[in-house]
Amino acid sequence: MKKNFVVLLVIVCLATVLFSFDRAQAAPYYEGKKIKIVVGFAPGGGYDRMARLLGKHLPKYIPGKPSFIIENMPGASSMITANYVYNIAKPDGLTIGTFNRGLPFAQLTDKKGAKFDMRKFAWIGSSAVEATVLVIRTDLPYKTFDEMLKDKSVKMLGSTGPGDSNGHLLSMLQAFVGLDLKNISYPSSADVMLAVERKELDGRGSSYSSALPFIERGVVRAVLRGRIVEEGIENLPVDEDLVTDPKAKTLLGMRSAPDGFGRPYVAPPGTPENVMNILREAFAKVEKDPELQKDAEKNKMKITYVSADECLKVINFILNQPEDIVNEFKKFVQF
Amino acid sequence: MFDAFVGGLVVVFQWKSFLYLLIGAGIGFWVGILPGLGGATTLALMMPFIYKMTPQEALPFLLGMHSVVQTTGDITSILFGIPGEATTVATIVDGYPMAKKGEAGRAIGAALMSSLIGAVFGAAFLALSIPIVRPLVLAFGSPEMLMVILLGLTCISSLSGRGRRGLLLGLLSGGIGLLCSLVGQDRQAGILRFTFDELYLWNGLPVIPVLVGLFAIPEIVDLAVRGTAIAGDVPSGKLGKGVMQGVRDTFTHFWLTVRCSLIGSLIGILPGLGGGVAQWMSYAHATQSAKTIKEQEGFGQGDIRGVLGPGAANNSKEGAGLIPTVAFGIPASSGMAILLGAFFLLGLVPGPEMLTKHLTLTFSMVWTIVVANILIVLVSLVFINHIAALTTIRGKLLIPFLLLLTFIGAYTSSNHIGDLIAVLVFGCVGYFMVRFSWPRPPFILGFILGELAETYLYVSTSRYGWDWLYRPKVIIIFLLAVAVAAYPFIQRKKLQKGESSHEI
Repeated sequence: MKKNFVVLLVIVCLATVLFSFDRAQAAPYYEGKKIKIVVGFAPGGGYDRMARLLGKHLPKYIPGKPSFIIENMPGASSMITANYVYNIAKPDGLTIGTFNRGLPFAQLTDKKGAKFDMRKFAWIGSSAVEATVLVIRTDLPYKTFDEMLKDKSVKMLGSTGPGDSNGHLLSMLQAFVGLDLKNISYPSSADVMLAVERKELDGRGSSYSSALPFIERGVVRAVLRGRIVEEGIENLPVDEDLVTDPKAKTLLGMRSAPDGFGRPYVAPPGTPENVMNILREAFAKVEKDPELQKDAEKNKMKITYVSADECLKVINFILNQPEDIVNEFKKFVQF
Repeated sequence: MFDAFVGGLVVVFQWKSFLYLLIGAGIGFWVGILPGLGGATTLALMMPFIYKMTPQEALPFLLGMHSVVQTTGDITSILFGIPGEATTVATIVDGYPMAKKGEAGRAIGAALMSSLIGAVFGAAFLALSIPIVRPLVLAFGSPEMLMVILLGLTCISSLSGRGRRGLLLGLLSGGIGLLCSLVGQDRQAGILRFTFDELYLWNGLPVIPVLVGLFAIPEIVDLAVRGTAIAGDVPSGKLGKGVMQGVRDTFTHFWLTVRCSLIGSLIGILPGLGGGVAQWMSYAHATQSAKTIKEQEGFGQGDIRGVLGPGAANNSKEGAGLIPTVAFGIPASSGMAILLGAFFLLGLVPGPEMLTKHLTLTFSMVWTIVVANILIVLVSLVFINHIAALTTIRGKLLIPFLLLLTFIGAYTSSNHIGDLIAVLVFGCVGYFMVRFSWPRPPFILGFILGELAETYLYVSTSRYGWDWLYRPKVIIIFLLAVAVAAYPFIQRKKLQKGESSHEI
């Protein structure tokens, strides 16, 4: 009787342990938790709207359905956010960041204040590609890039300052392709577009997605693109094809490379691999979510998941260039 | 066009649209009251709610919120001397001294009524400019922008104290503001100026912490030192009585209110300037309406016209600010940029179509601004006695709340510890400026306009060489700027002459 009791007790204990162990395994890591997305820009822009959109739809694809909160931490071309995610945020998968896709250049050009190594972030991937195009006014006498090159006038093209990668495209076109242009910096992208509307400018470098409403309205047309392609601009001439010098080709390629991860998402370095897999899987799956696609379409955005490996490949391509190329690159790109 | 005009009103009064308008305006009421928390940030927070709405529901919701924050922001500015919004700082200059004198009710009554007139004016401006919107917006190239900025800077002469010493201090204050605006990465060559290796300073000093520090902290310190309530010695029961007086004041100075509304609307169209500048230009204009030297010196001590001017202008810029957004898809301010995102979400493409195919909807936005402001002004007028009574609470009890709100408000600017440090630093600067009677408004104008002036000078010269100097519109605005700069001296001469002849 006593023996039976002991056996029963052991069984009960074992069962309890096993059951709780089983429960511990079954309770998903993210159950009842909050994931914070830190956005390196102010509310309202493309990066912010993408984060808010993902925050709305991602919970469906993460076991435990965590809720998402968006925090804007603008400043220093989103280097503040990158520094925060790299150095301060805990690597527990509860804080992730999205920032300026041009940040590898800050590291490449040894920008003071860049306290991160792009290769060591725990990469989730990117939720979009953002091709760069050169757009010109539709009422100009020249209609293609070829005609634009042959035209004798000085082209007035706009950008938004030294950190603007679209502006870098302009200075490279001037140096390598011989396009006669003046690159003028305005306070913001909206001001550049307004200057185009009132014919103060002939055109601008722009991400394809933000130029699209103006292309559809017939204000501007795209005449040239970087190596990254999106639906609708496949047939445009590519900047790298216009030069023969291999060095120039590399520099143009480096400039375009980050467009391949237009909306990058990272977690702090050292985030456990099992957590990273959950996040990566969720980002990969949410891309195909019909509701998200519908919302994205309304936002005039396109969701394309780029895997973490792909992102790292691009970063290594940029950061592993020999010194002479880097020095040449610094002449055009000041982050 | 008339059909669309009436149709727009009908849209606003459909029960669902109206319900959302009420909710939006209710949110805007509180956003305006709370210092620092701005309309743009709140718009971003409201965006997730509009996915399933139709444009007829979402636009009243968003715009109802965004168009009333200035109206209630004025209330905070007047009661506590703390800017409720970045666009309601100028209301403090004369509104807060009135509150100290126990005239909070009158000042708020005037602010509310002038806000309403401003809002209606701005909405009418938007409606009337629809047929000529393209030439109107495109008339201002970069050189013209530069001249308008210069015009803004010349208002410093009206915002400075009187006499030579006053002018000198005003110019110095404006100059320091200009210097502060240079902090950050310069736009042309990417050189870092005065950033002291702090990433926080890369984008320059953020506006809200600077404004809040400069205006709120000195008042809070003053309140603590005095140890009384804001309306210190005024017997209670007298406070709310001036409300109708304030409303009447608005109509006594009706044309001043209208002129200031016009200033607000004209500035509102230009991207980048907006309410931050319009309020000061209209305040400067209000000071020019002084009829005697005594009146002139009364500005800054609690002259009702100093409340009416900015009260009207910061609301009238709202309708005008919509013009470039709706007609070109080019936002004139950060709030409008977020609204533009909302347009896309709702399946609307801003541009000429909004003025043809969706004209009814565009007019419904005009009506939303009007209706939301009427509602909020009526509600505020009902509660005004209770609100004004806040100024009789002992300072000791009020200060912790004011400090908390001030710092939280500033922190929403960039969610960075730097925001709090900026408040403290500019709080000290502000305290000493008050102590040694340096005028603060010129500082703000210099601070807001400095970077824009630099950029547009660069753009004008690199785009047009020196040819831009000969553009007729540039010359006209320049002459106007000279006139604005010289006016206070001419005015003073005239007043002195008038007074001496009066004595004889």
